Amino acid sequence: MTSYDTVIGLEIHVALMTESKFLCSCKTTFGAPPNSQCCPVCLGLPGTLPLINEKAVEYATKAGLALNCQIHFFSRFDRKNYFYPDLPKAFQITQDAFPLCTDGFLEYYMDEQLVRTAITRIHLEEEAGKLIHSGPTIVDSEYSLVDYNRAGIPLIEIVTAPDIHTPRQARLFLEQLRLLMNYIGVSDTKMEEGSLRCDANISLKPAGSSVLGTKVEIKNLNSFRALEKALEYEERRQSKLLDRGEAIRQESRTWDERAGRTITMRSKGDAPDYRIFPEPDLPPLNLDPAWVSLIKVSVPELPLERLKRLEEEYGLSRYEATFLVNYRDFGDLFFELAEIGLEHKSIVNFLMGDYARLAREHGHMAAKRLAELLQLQAEGRISQNQAKAVLEELFSCRLSAREIVEKKGLEVVGDPAALQPVVAEVLDGNRELAARYKNGETKLLGFFVGQVMRATQGKADPETVSQLLRDELAD
Amino acid sequence: MLIDRQEVMRMARLARLELSDREIDQYQKDLTSFLSSGQKLQQVDVSAVEGTSHAVAMTHELRKDAVGESLPQAEILSAAPEAMDGFFKVPRIVEEQE
Amino acid sequence: MRRLAHLLETRQISSTEVVEHYLAEISKQEPVLNAFITVDAEGALAQAKASDRRRREGQALSPWDGIPIAVKDNISTKGLKTTCASRFLANYVPLFDAEVVSRLKDVGLSIIGKTNLDEFAMGSSTEYSAYGVTCNPHDHERVSGGSSGGSAAAVAAGEVPWSLGTDTGGSIRQPASFCGVVGLKPTYGWVSRYGVVALAPSLDHVGPLARTVEDAALLFSLIAGPDPKDATSSDAREFSIPDWDESFVKGLKIGVPEEFFGEGISPEVEGAVRDCLNALEGWGAELVPISLATNEYAIDTYLTLVTAEASSSLARYDGVRYGVRIPAEDSNTMFARSRSAGFGAEVKRRIMLGTYVLSARQYGAYYEQAQKVRTLIRQDVLEAFKQVDVIITPTTPSTAFRIGAKQSPLEMYLSDLFTAMANLCGIPALNVPCGRDSRGLPLGMQIMGGHFQEELLFRVARLVENHVGVEGEVFSDKL
Repeated sequence: MTSYDTVIGLEIHVALMTESKFLCSCKTTFGAPPNSQCCPVCLGLPGTLPLINEKAVEYATKAGLALNCQIHFFSRFDRKNYFYPDLPKAFQITQDAFPLCTDGFLEYYMDEQLVRTAITRIHLEEEAGKLIHSGPTIVDSEYSLVDYNRAGIPLIEIVTAPDIHTPRQARLFLEQLRLLMNYIGVSDTKMEEGSLRCDANISLKPAGSSVLGTKVEIKNLNSFRALEKALEYEERRQSKLLDRGEAIRQESRTWDERAGRTITMRSKGDAPDYRIFPEPDLPPLNLDPAWVSLIKVSVPELPLERLKRLEEEYGLSRYEATFLVNYRDFGDLFFELAEIGLEHKSIVNFLMGDYARLAREHGHMAAKRLAELLQLQAEGRISQNQAKAVLEELFSCRLSAREIVEKKGLEVVGDPAALQPVVAEVLDGNRELAARYKNGETKLLGFFVGQVMRATQGKADPETVSQLLRDELAD
Repeated sequence: MLIDRQEVMRMARLARLELSDREIDQYQKDLTSFLSSGQKLQQVDVSAVEGTSHAVAMTHELRKDAVGESLPQAEILSAAPEAMDGFFKVPRIVEEQE
Repeated sequence: MRRLAHLLETRQISSTEVVEHYLAEISKQEPVLNAFITVDAEGALAQAKASDRRRREGQALSPWDGIPIAVKDNISTKGLKTTCASRFLANYVPLFDAEVVSRLKDVGLSIIGKTNLDEFAMGSSTEYSAYGVTCNPHDHERVSGGSSGGSAAAVAAGEVPWSLGTDTGGSIRQPASFCGVVGLKPTYGWVSRYGVVALAPSLDHVGPLARTVEDAALLFSLIAGPDPKDATSSDAREFSIPDWDESFVKGLKIGVPEEFFGEGISPEVEGAVRDCLNALEGWGAELVPISLATNEYAIDTYLTLVTAEASSSLARYDGVRYGVRIPAEDSNTMFARSRSAGFGAEVKRRIMLGTYVLSARQYGAYYEQAQKVRTLIRQDVLEAFKQVDVIITPTTPSTAFRIGAKQSPLEMYLSDLFTAMANLCGIPALNVPCGRDSRGLPLGMQIMGGHFQEELLFRVARLVENHVGVEGEVFSDKL
């Protein structure tokens, strides 16, 4: 069996979360009753004209800047002509020859290695309507229903160079891209609602060869898992064909989630002729460089930058830093708590532990409220177990951490004078074991600490107790 | 004929026109006559210029991202040849066969 | 129109009387003329009554409040059928007004009806209308021109005082010339296209048709100006009617392009234009012989671009949301059957041609080439305007032809020979009547100017009008 190199390129559509549509002022809210967010323009009624939403251009520019692209001050809109029931004008307004952004890249970690995938281009275009089929799939349906609420929502199409080499890398790239879009706040990237969609091109070539193989396009990849599985399937299918000396057919395939395989949609010979030409209803876009500079300033810290900062400035491990990057809200909280002056490792341990579980259930808590709790723990005024109990209380009442501790009388007893009688009592009740300790069985210390803790209902400060016990038993 | 029958039929499919044999013959003739009269256009030296999409110079004023009014669903569907449950209804969708 | 406005203002006549007068003319002439697809007598009378009430209460919306107008049937009118003279849109009722219609309503004009045209404005004679040809009021055996034939004929016949038309390659000027009225194709972008059903968006224009130059200028002032709903109108400004001072003509440089005279031009057309040119020269204008050699390519360039854009603009008529639907097993067949049943032969021909010139294999040779030649034509014309203030030519090579006379599409396309250039360049161009031929058919002269030079065109046209005279005045008994 020959070994092959896999070559993968992705085309990603991202719906931009503007208030109004790309070319008209209709709302973009998801889940509204069918055909309730449409106007003459997005229905393509005769005589209507498109008007570009400035925010969509801003968001696309921001995405381009975040992906290290060259932003073209001059870009142009084109008509892509094809008939489909979900396309009201029977052409899509898109950017073909002169896209807004080109020549960028995205860097991300694959295992321990920093890898880079080139972005060929990013352009703006309009979304089509939504189809609901009467049968289980489009082909088994007697009829379909059309909802134009989605028609005209702004999209960016991001096209990568074919320099992704494994299905897993494709998945990592897409995950990272999605995170980036969330960071810059241009899209909610909900794959289940279709606001992030991905098509993949994949070809195989003999290992080391510089000649690209025939590429196959896979559509309908509606989850990260689907992307990875479909590419894995396609890798196997193509390598089997090549092993048998058969040619790969240049075609579009679709991922059948239930069957776990890709199936032919149409072969390339049938590719439609889109008759693309410049959109006469829209003048070209001439961006003001000063405006672009303002957008550049508005690009926030990006995931990779944040990862580096957490590792280098805060001394966190890759694992910890990755958690705080992937869950940006946790990351933000971390920085707030660190700002207050708490110790970094203990914050991250706390956030990744009990807090994460409770926050997923109840939502986040204000940093100040949390800081008080962490402060109490850091000062040794409450134990770790007590902290956990206070945290649960914090989520369910309005009292502050200090107030909860007081109300419940949870405060740690760290005064040696107060603890001395309890220590004496415990040793008194376990004379035989005390003798064994004195004979060198020092691991018994833990047992004595436990006994003191129990006697004080956990309020005793374990450090102080240990010290007292050691002093007492040394006599 | 500058353009063959197959090509005329391909154009008709692309443009979603169902043409009779007589119409195909007619349009083959018309297209051919247009293309031959348009030959002189091909001879023009355009190497020094870019194409014109808009004859008058204009600045492109972008629209602010503000929500405006949509039409009521009943009005949207009022002219629909076929509607169902608030949707436009279309017969089975099959992929284009070239 | 100033006189009519005065009669209305002084309440010597009511808007209802005015509208009734024109409705009576329409009922009398329409059986032969066929200038209208829809006459909205009820709506126009209701608007007239409302206008009379406003006048009584001293709340007139403008001096023109209560004057009726006809609008070409490819301009959207809310609640009033807009068919584009196509079977496909036989029952299509727009949900909104075109911007130009809103502006007319805002100043109190009442829409009396929708005028006939070649289907989707594709043609030069209104013979390609699904609702029958519009005859020329001066000779019922002849065409009114096109595609705004209905708008021109209705004005010429006195069915309406003025009207709106659209012009993609000559569709206002050529019928204005054939019918003997004033018609302006403005600078691209000065009048909003919002709500005007697209033929070829980079070449489509909306403009006024009227009996007199002043009325045309007045109507233009009512519709011109920026519209935030049309991205291609963003640099437009307001227009106000000139003061008609005539001293400007001294030293005015008039370009006379040799390519528009001589061979292939009817001697009577040329004679009439030359007579006006001589008159202008007599008043102090300077005639400058110029050459517009690129006009040789204008028709082919125009046809390539217009068919390409049309094939795309008309793709939306698929039978899903409105219009004709012929049921079929699957959507693609449904699209094809509905479109084939809804469109006439000329529309299909242009869609076929446009699809071809845009198709992947032909794009470079045809569409792209035509766009570049358009640049050369534009350069040629703008260069000429560095030497001259206006350019004067015949509007058409001949007067109105007989119905059915032009058999081949190519022959019909040549009707735009002198007019398409202005659309390709986006410059304003105006037809002003300049006499009659021996058969009594109107002759027309075209005046072209640089971008946004409409005022100058009106001034020159007014001089020509003074020279040849205006025919017929309505309500003359009351003046």
